[in-house]
Amino acid sequence: MKRIKYIFIQVFYALIIRPWLTLFIGVKFENREIFDDKNQFIVVANHNSHFDMVSIMAALPGRKLKHIRSIAAGDYFGKSKFTTSITQFFFNSIMISRKRKEGEPSGIEVLDDCIKRGKSLVLFPEGSRGQPGVIAEFKSGIAIILKKNPGVPFIPVYLDGFGRVMPKDKTIILPMVCKIRFGEPIYIDSSKDVDSILEEVKAAILGLKNADEEDRNQFTY
Amino acid sequence: MRIFDYFIPLEIIYVFTGVYAVLVGCSAIFRVIYYRKKSDKIKELITKVDSWWKMVIGITVIVVAPPIYGTIIIGYVSFVALREMMSIGKLRGSDRVAMLACYLCIPIQYYLAYHNYYHEFLYFIPLVMFSIIAIILVLTGDTKLIGRSMSILPAMLMLTVYFLSYMVLLFNVPTPYGLAGSGGLILFLVAITAFNDVFQFTWGKLLGKKKILPKISPNKTWVGFIGGVLTTGVLAFLIRDLTPLDGLHAFLIGLALGVMGFLGDVLISAIKRDLKLKDTSDLIPGHGGAMDRLDSIIFTTPLFYHLLILCI
Repeated sequence: MKRIKYIFIQVFYALIIRPWLTLFIGVKFENREIFDDKNQFIVVANHNSHFDMVSIMAALPGRKLKHIRSIAAGDYFGKSKFTTSITQFFFNSIMISRKRKEGEPSGIEVLDDCIKRGKSLVLFPEGSRGQPGVIAEFKSGIAIILKKNPGVPFIPVYLDGFGRVMPKDKTIILPMVCKIRFGEPIYIDSSKDVDSILEEVKAAILGLKNADEEDRNQFTY
Repeated sequence: MRIFDYFIPLEIIYVFTGVYAVLVGCSAIFRVIYYRKKSDKIKELITKVDSWWKMVIGITVIVVAPPIYGTIIIGYVSFVALREMMSIGKLRGSDRVAMLACYLCIPIQYYLAYHNYYHEFLYFIPLVMFSIIAIILVLTGDTKLIGRSMSILPAMLMLTVYFLSYMVLLFNVPTPYGLAGSGGLILFLVAITAFNDVFQFTWGKLLGKKKILPKISPNKTWVGFIGGVLTTGVLAFLIRDLTPLDGLHAFLIGLALGVMGFLGDVLISAIKRDLKLKDTSDLIPGHGGAMDRLDSIIFTTPLFYHLLILCI
């Protein structure tokens, strides 16, 4: 059953979602080839819209999809059975509630366990989509996981323009020119402390944005 | 010539043979040079020519295939151009509903053009869409900078959808028997516009000195402009067999298209200068965005259609 699911989403992303994103929405994938020789990695991106996860999944090579795990906010996507099963099916999501109850394993433990089992992760350290165009304060979870697993590189991703395709709290999807740019994998020095690792991650994502480029994740007033 | 029981006029075949010969030659020569000596300049030329291949193949389908395919391709090009304009334009978050309405009007406009509902075609965007956009913006209730959105959204629609959809109207122009048909008209228009750009560039590079519009486009010179327009007129005279026009009319239309192509080019340059952009996007490798390529054809298409109707 699992195998059929992964074959289905592999075909679904390659033949439907990726052409739809490039031809209709106007997404440009840049430097997508870096995944080819990487087995385990943590994709770290800025977060502006629901399209962020869709485009990252569409950009990944199909045969890697079954090793990808992503995090979904349990209090948002876990509201109904329908949304839960959709996010779990298409994004291999693990539901982690932002308001943790007693006795549940913490998000960090769950993610660390995933890494230990050889899975790759997609993380948005900003936590939520937040204000459009503003890169919010990063949550420290990513740094803790990277510090615990120095053998796993992180791949910085800069998402440009998705905040205008489908901003937070809006239902209309508008075609807009946008870009998803992958950086080179970076290994972390585990002797550093969490804060400086976090700074390094943030700098890597911001470094992918060219200086002459305007930030297109928000509308100008 | 009949290919699979499908008639392609000889004039069109001659022109395309020439164009494809040039493309094959360029691709081959640049690749040989690149093989001998790897340099970034040649690499850039190769990407440029590769993009030209795709564009020429698109034009071939528009000219040679039945009109419905051409309509779909031109409509998609319109959509891409509008998407690009909306991405670079200064729009507000509250304009999103009006922007959706702009996108939705593309199929309607092309439906009207394809079925030759000429009257409705003429007023749909300037009148109906203009009002709809204004009404939506007012009903949205965000009044800050509403005038700007109310003017640039219809302007974008005019440039990218209304002007370009005239090309589909060319499919419906009745052309006398024995001539190259509606495909010939479109090929004439595209060839004249594209070569006009090339001629103006070449004349300007060879002999240009005095700048024509230094504030907008520092590379454009008087010699480039005048030489380019005159050469375009001559080219129009030479390939007039694609159209039902006689020699004098073809020459004059060539001159008019040359001037209009220049103005369209300069207009997009001015917009880019205002927004401090080098290209409108990086959609076409080696060429910039869709609007960078479409800048002149947008303005020559309606002019060509109306002049043609006057002449035949």
